[in-house]
Amino acid sequence: MDLTVEIKRYNPDEDEEPHWESYEVPAEPLDSALSLLLHVKWHEDGTLSFRKSCAHGICGSDAMQINGENKLACSVLVQDLVGEDAEDGSTITFEPLPSAPVIKDLIIDQSRFFEKYRDVKPWLITDGPAPEREREQSPEEHAMIEDATKCIMCGACTHACPSTWADPDYLGPAAMLKAYRYTFDTRDDGAEERLDVVDSPDGLWKCYTIFNCNEACPKDIDITRWLSALKRRAATSQASTNA
Amino acid sequence: MAVDTQERPAPTASKEGATAEQDSRFQRYRIRTGMFAWMMHRLTGVGLVVYLIIHIWGLTALTDPETFNALIAKYHSPIFKVGEFALLVAVAYHAMNGLRIVLIDFLGWSPNQKKLFWTLGAVTAVIILVGGWPSIYSLGEWILGPGSMPTLFL
Repeated sequence: MDLTVEIKRYNPDEDEEPHWESYEVPAEPLDSALSLLLHVKWHEDGTLSFRKSCAHGICGSDAMQINGENKLACSVLVQDLVGEDAEDGSTITFEPLPSAPVIKDLIIDQSRFFEKYRDVKPWLITDGPAPEREREQSPEEHAMIEDATKCIMCGACTHACPSTWADPDYLGPAAMLKAYRYTFDTRDDGAEERLDVVDSPDGLWKCYTIFNCNEACPKDIDITRWLSALKRRAATSQASTNA
Repeated sequence: MAVDTQERPAPTASKEGATAEQDSRFQRYRIRTGMFAWMMHRLTGVGLVVYLIIHIWGLTALTDPETFNALIAKYHSPIFKVGEFALLVAVAYHAMNGLRIVLIDFLGWSPNQKKLFWTLGAVTAVIILVGGWPSIYSLGEWILGPGSMPTLFL
């Protein structure tokens, strides 16, 4: 089939505003959305810019808005976007992640996203000295954080969240999922420190259970569920008196 | 995993102000169950606040029996029957979706959020039909003429 691929282009050296460009791209139902972009870059317009590394849903580079929803371009198939027997001329649209500043074409400025990530102290915080051997964790203890550890930091969730759109300083699902992942890690002692950060007006309480993060997550993490658990923890902990 | 380290920080624009800003609380985005539920929750919530202000203002007429009776008489006009019905719809939806959020946040029912939406949506529809029947009845009588509406549970 021949698809119409519409891409929101922006070149900071030439354009005042982003604009749409349209390309005809031959495609198979089992091609990835990323392969459409690669076709445009290799055969139509080499100046098209987007992030991509592994192309297998591990590195989290190519999160973007595809057909009006945040997705990982390498992890979504053409048939999932236009159907298996789509007619010629079916359209697939590509835009940068919503609400983030755009550097060029589909590349967003990630600095704000990673600032929020660092804000929640996404590392192991311990009280005592390091043990001789590794810090042990039972399978049951790990099961609690297993889902949250699958995060690849692609940013699809945070930029899908209406709370992020309305308040750029809102920590967002990705950062708070990390907070959950460490707070509920039985080897970690930094719960109070981290709850101080997330139990704030720009934190947990701007999560209105909209579920856009869950829908956007390419790893199918039940983000809202873990944020709810973190909300309960924050509400019952000493730290909640600080807010 | 995307990386951001001291040696290799997350990329930023080379020049200040060389980015296209897309900051806006309104984005074009696909509306799925969760976002639809939230948007309706906001709309009905704001609607109820507006109603509450009008309601409290109406109560100020309580100081004088004459004005109060005149105000209540106005409430019998068809336009207020429509308003009455809209109020019930807003209250029923807001309450039931509020219950959904409570179940999600307090009991961790997040994996069932869509089923919850449709189940409680059905409950909301029943509440609206049963509770709103007097409004529907009197509106029907007004539009189709007296005696044209079936007298169910009235």
